[in-house]
Amino acid sequence: MKESSARSALAVSGERMPFEEAVRRRTLSNGARLFVLENHFNPTVAVSGSLNAGPLFAPPDRRLLASVTAGELAKGTERRTKLEIAEELESRGASFTISAGSSDPVGVDVAAASLARDVEVLLDVLAEVLLSPVFPEEELEKERMRLVGVLREQQDQTSVRAFEAAARRLYPPGHPLHRRRAEERIAIIESLRRDELRRFYDDHYGSGTLLLVVVGDVDSQRILDGLERRLGSWKPGPPPEIPRPGPVPPAPGRETVRMPDKASADVVLAQPADLERQDPEYLACTLANSALGQSSLTSRLGVRVRDTEGLTYGIHSGFAATHLAGPFAVSLTVKPESRDAAVAATLEEIRRFLREGMTAKELADEKSSHIGRFKVDLSSNGGMAHAIDAAVYYGLGISYLDGFPALVGAVTKEEADAAFAKRVDPDQFTIVSAGSFDSP
Amino acid sequence: MQSPNSEVDEPAGAGEVPEDLDFVREKAGIREFRLRSNGLRVLLLRNPVAPVATFAVVYHVGSRNEAVGHTGATHLLEHLMFKGTPEFDREKGTAVAAILEALGARFNATTWFDRTNYYETIPSDRIEDAVKIEASRMRGALLRDSDRVPEMTVVRNEYERGENSPFQVLYKETFATAFREHPYHHPTIGWRTDIEGVTTDRLKEFYDVFYHPNNATAMLIGDFEEEEALATIARHFGPILPSARPIPVVYTVEPPQEGERRFVVRRTGQVAWVALSWRSVEARHRDTAALAALGNVLGGGLTARLHLALVEKSLALSVTVVAWQLRDPALFSVFAPVRPGVAPDVVERTIRAEAARVASEGVTEAEAEKARTQIEAEVIFERDSTDQVAASLSEAIAVADWEWYAEYPEMVRRVTAADIRRVAATYFVDDGLTVGLYLPKEPPPA
Repeated sequence: MKESSARSALAVSGERMPFEEAVRRRTLSNGARLFVLENHFNPTVAVSGSLNAGPLFAPPDRRLLASVTAGELAKGTERRTKLEIAEELESRGASFTISAGSSDPVGVDVAAASLARDVEVLLDVLAEVLLSPVFPEEELEKERMRLVGVLREQQDQTSVRAFEAAARRLYPPGHPLHRRRAEERIAIIESLRRDELRRFYDDHYGSGTLLLVVVGDVDSQRILDGLERRLGSWKPGPPPEIPRPGPVPPAPGRETVRMPDKASADVVLAQPADLERQDPEYLACTLANSALGQSSLTSRLGVRVRDTEGLTYGIHSGFAATHLAGPFAVSLTVKPESRDAAVAATLEEIRRFLREGMTAKELADEKSSHIGRFKVDLSSNGGMAHAIDAAVYYGLGISYLDGFPALVGAVTKEEADAAFAKRVDPDQFTIVSAGSFDSP
Repeated sequence: MQSPNSEVDEPAGAGEVPEDLDFVREKAGIREFRLRSNGLRVLLLRNPVAPVATFAVVYHVGSRNEAVGHTGATHLLEHLMFKGTPEFDREKGTAVAAILEALGARFNATTWFDRTNYYETIPSDRIEDAVKIEASRMRGALLRDSDRVPEMTVVRNEYERGENSPFQVLYKETFATAFREHPYHHPTIGWRTDIEGVTTDRLKEFYDVFYHPNNATAMLIGDFEEEEALATIARHFGPILPSARPIPVVYTVEPPQEGERRFVVRRTGQVAWVALSWRSVEARHRDTAALAALGNVLGGGLTARLHLALVEKSLALSVTVVAWQLRDPALFSVFAPVRPGVAPDVVERTIRAEAARVASEGVTEAEAEKARTQIEAEVIFERDSTDQVAASLSEAIAVADWEWYAEYPEMVRRVTAADIRRVAATYFVDDGLTVGLYLPKEPPPA
């Protein structure tokens, strides 16, 4: 164990050095942004990062191209095969994933972890996979077959079917949050070829939007120098602009996806919500949402639908706010016969919440909850790496992490109520249920 | 290789031990104390990685302690423990969950075969709030019928959600088939009609038999001062009386299995699953570490044997290997969703062939070293967060004792390639095997 004389954002007894001071950073001439935070309490390292090459940048009729390209990066490089790379990491107990999906249509996410003694190996793999993938044909062939199977397996899940049907109704074809039917997606997967992946990689990958955060038992200078040496020569790639689709009108209505032999059904109530992560009203919206439905045990929806009426094991609400404005959605599981009662109780609680707003106690509790949870979430290397990554990725800046308690504290009841009411209207909900229903 | 146990080198015995506690022993940074008044065991592990701490109480009661007619009682009781005590009562607006949520705590409770645990990760200046709550519900749970009635349907929906998952259906059916006499036969969630039928009085009886300080371990992990933490724990738990009667023990032993068992579950769907489970040993057994290493050799990543044989060959979509570690002899399981278009028996035969190959030919030294390193790294990664340490320590206490947790890395480090081959040869025998198939059927005509 090293002494904590080295700089660290973490110190015993709450004397935390501000992140703004503790995080070392460097921007390379090709645009890559690098951040390192030393934390010497445990000999591990966590890496979190991103670059803008998600589904938003793929052709509207082939959004899957982005996630498959990200998934194939580690399947072989100019130097090594997939299994050689995997052996290098697995023989050290290290992990590395790079992925893109529809929950954040903009970013490709990098997440990695290793023991501190293996950090150089981990960063070698990371750079190799980003800079010199070769997309071997035989690996893509295997992945096409696996993905088709995985997609079929997902189609057996009520939660997947409910969310997909809701996304299909809420967002028009071509929109990055639209979800095509399984058979269409299978046809796209089966038609993907190596050249198309290669072209997407050439056109969209580069250092210009790359952001990497390393947290753990490391020497920050050494990590920054090492990353610069590995990544400094990478092409900048496309400019960082994020094309935003226009606003989408709500699509009120109901739909039932019938699936036999399902003891539990999933229900989603959703509408498009005008809320991006950078929106100044984001915290006001999330505080209000927490009071309404963030927790199955304590939020209004949980207390009513789960605790009082016993209709569900889990009920949650939330905004899907990233660089793009996603939906506001409530999701719950129910015994199929209880669906109508559960939906009615849910709508009634949301209407009451909109009518009355938060109580002063709810606001105070949610504020202390947000601030306490923030502290708890920052208690691991992975948690800190992720938080720094998100703060930079969404343009909030690292000082956001230091100012978070004050920002939360400043939100008033009027702001929270108004921000929420502006975006949520149960009359505009799309209500989709998936499960074993006899009636519509 | 550094020892994960050497990473936290806080000075031992930092403060005075309050007089109502006895210091018992210390290993790998974990210090054990016992409350004189009631026998509650207290474990402290300082890990000041961040200004947070996890407080947890583990009760030595799980679905293993249930019998016919009240399966799932331990779990349903765990749900009711959130409803009310004289101090923390949802009916007075002071529900446990509301108090903890307002602190920003990460909290929950879980029930498993051998234990029930309650935990909260809180900012370290709020440790006393968590201690108070756990002390209050150790003997003070109100367990009202008006709480059970709506909560029963909540739990029933939890059961129903599990029934939607092929993996959960297979593991439940596997245990029900492999264990006929021992209570691992029934799932922790319980059988549906037991969940529906169990009475509040029966749950109270269960609570009064098992929820006592002398059947529990309290643990605090993270950023705290020892003397102050011990005083807080003693203040709130000290006044609780120990049980008047001894805690009943489970004496049922599952006899040896004398032949392969098979089952099939058919439900509407698109993907088949295959599960193979061999009878194995209890966590305390000397072969446990070698079985864990065998699990990694077969299922620990893209380069593991079953991944290469099944996923790389496009026979299965993924593969999961579980070397179950429980208080009583358990199973070694392999689960795989079959790629559509492939016959499930091809996947079954491949798993059997790979199992037989390890048993007959053994593994390379490189494979053994990789497995040891992976398990060792997992233990070190756990130390990144106090709640993960608490979760692992809870499991260790449930299946063996806390020293087993402290010694586990060393047990794994001593595993050799020969050990892995020996345990494969010992336990991969057809007479101890249960094969389960989850087969999709066509949907009924609309």
